[in-house]
Amino acid sequence: MRKTDGELILLWTLPALGLIWISAFLLFPGFTHPMSPTMSAEAVAAFYRDPENLARIRYSMILFNWFGVGLIPILVLIVLQIRRMAHRTPIFSYAVLGCASGGPTLFLVANLFWLLAAFRPERDPQLTQLFNDLAWVTFTSQVGFLIGQSVLLALAIYLDRQPRPVFKTWVAHFNLGVAAALAPASFTALSLAGVMAWDGLLSFWIRNAAIALWIAVMGVVLGQTILRQRREEGAVAV
Amino acid sequence: MSSPLERIAWHWRHNAKLELWIAWWAMVVFYQLYGLLFFVVTRVQPPPPAWWDAPTVVQWFNDNHYGLLVGFGICFLITGMLGAVNALLAYSMRRMSVSPAFAYSYLLIYSLSAVPGMLLTCVALVVGAMRPDRNPELIRWLYDFAFMAFDGTMGVFLIGSLIWMVAILLDKNRVFPKWFAYLNLCNALTEVVVAPAWIFKRGVFAWDGAITWWLDMVVFVIYTAVFITLIRKMILREDFGTSALPDLVEPEAAAAPPGLVRAER
Repeated sequence: MRKTDGELILLWTLPALGLIWISAFLLFPGFTHPMSPTMSAEAVAAFYRDPENLARIRYSMILFNWFGVGLIPILVLIVLQIRRMAHRTPIFSYAVLGCASGGPTLFLVANLFWLLAAFRPERDPQLTQLFNDLAWVTFTSQVGFLIGQSVLLALAIYLDRQPRPVFKTWVAHFNLGVAAALAPASFTALSLAGVMAWDGLLSFWIRNAAIALWIAVMGVVLGQTILRQRREEGAVAV
Repeated sequence: MSSPLERIAWHWRHNAKLELWIAWWAMVVFYQLYGLLFFVVTRVQPPPPAWWDAPTVVQWFNDNHYGLLVGFGICFLITGMLGAVNALLAYSMRRMSVSPAFAYSYLLIYSLSAVPGMLLTCVALVVGAMRPDRNPELIRWLYDFAFMAFDGTMGVFLIGSLIWMVAILLDKNRVFPKWFAYLNLCNALTEVVVAPAWIFKRGVFAWDGAITWWLDMVVFVIYTAVFITLIRKMILREDFGTSALPDLVEPEAAAAPPGLVRAER
């Protein structure tokens, strides 16, 4: 039998993390009906000053602050699987490791801007709008590291040339699809209304659905792969 | 093997150094695009002056409205290429005789450097450009935030370059010539020279100054061009061993070595 190495514990944090993220997402009043970038400074200030909103903004963003980085152990489990691939160099595992901290760090920056806007809602509405803009633009446009890790993971899978590759080829295709779905959000600031705006179809709904789908699908694929790895290594040991 | 597409297909199937070449091309393409986006599309380099008053700053944002929004959109899109770039630079240290601590430290430092050193700069300028009717003083605050985050994020590049320098000086595997270590020192020193930009708003030490910007940019361009060339040579010489890298034999033969066609099997 192999020793307890804790990988399964890290893996099983994912369903709990998913539940917390979904709860925080639904709790934040700015997400359930995504705030429009066309709101005036006074309307944005009124959104933060509304006592019912204010509590929900603070509690949801504190939850996101606590658990936003919770995805990093899962990303590192993916990096460990990349290291098992039939590569000649550690380039892909280094590259995905480099991207893994970028996404959560930028999400934390957006999170701080939201919390700051809610900290003193009585501030000049222009300042509240500035924090709100910084939060939304950072949150929406910073898809670069997520695109990077999907494309790099796809390349790593394509180059895993062995009879039984670590991940199947469709996982690579899927990652390229997710990267393509995330791409338009980079340009969100180009328009304050319509599909490109931060509350629009491409920049909000498709972007966030793609991230949720990626986490769910990769969670299952990763779980199956880790369990298969354990069975195989257990069999060898016995 | 005539058309470029067939050549790429051949390399995709048979080139034993494909992982390294993908990262190297990511590096070349990233730095070309970086230059194009910062110097031509967004016009944030060379930087506008630190001493401008708020109406002039607002005018600058209005003149560059679409350049900033489209240019930095592309910048956000390609940020992930930095993952491959930093991985390759870290790999150059991994191939040396020194402890893996150097490669991992460099990887971590350069991965985090992109957030304040590039992305927050771009976010601040995008937010500045997206609402031309914002209070001019707030737009100038975003302007200061952007250019000071860009120039004033110093330690990551300072310590990162010094780590690379020490690794090269200690290395017994001849990955890089020793003179490149001292070029790393030059790059590290530019981050010392840039510090007065936090104090001066006019003159040679301001963020757009002759020393703080022009001198540092010349060093950075030379440094980048040199390491892109040296890393290409490293990949050509790579034998996937752990001892000294062999000398470069024939550039032509190494580019498409027939012996490697079956080597991956």
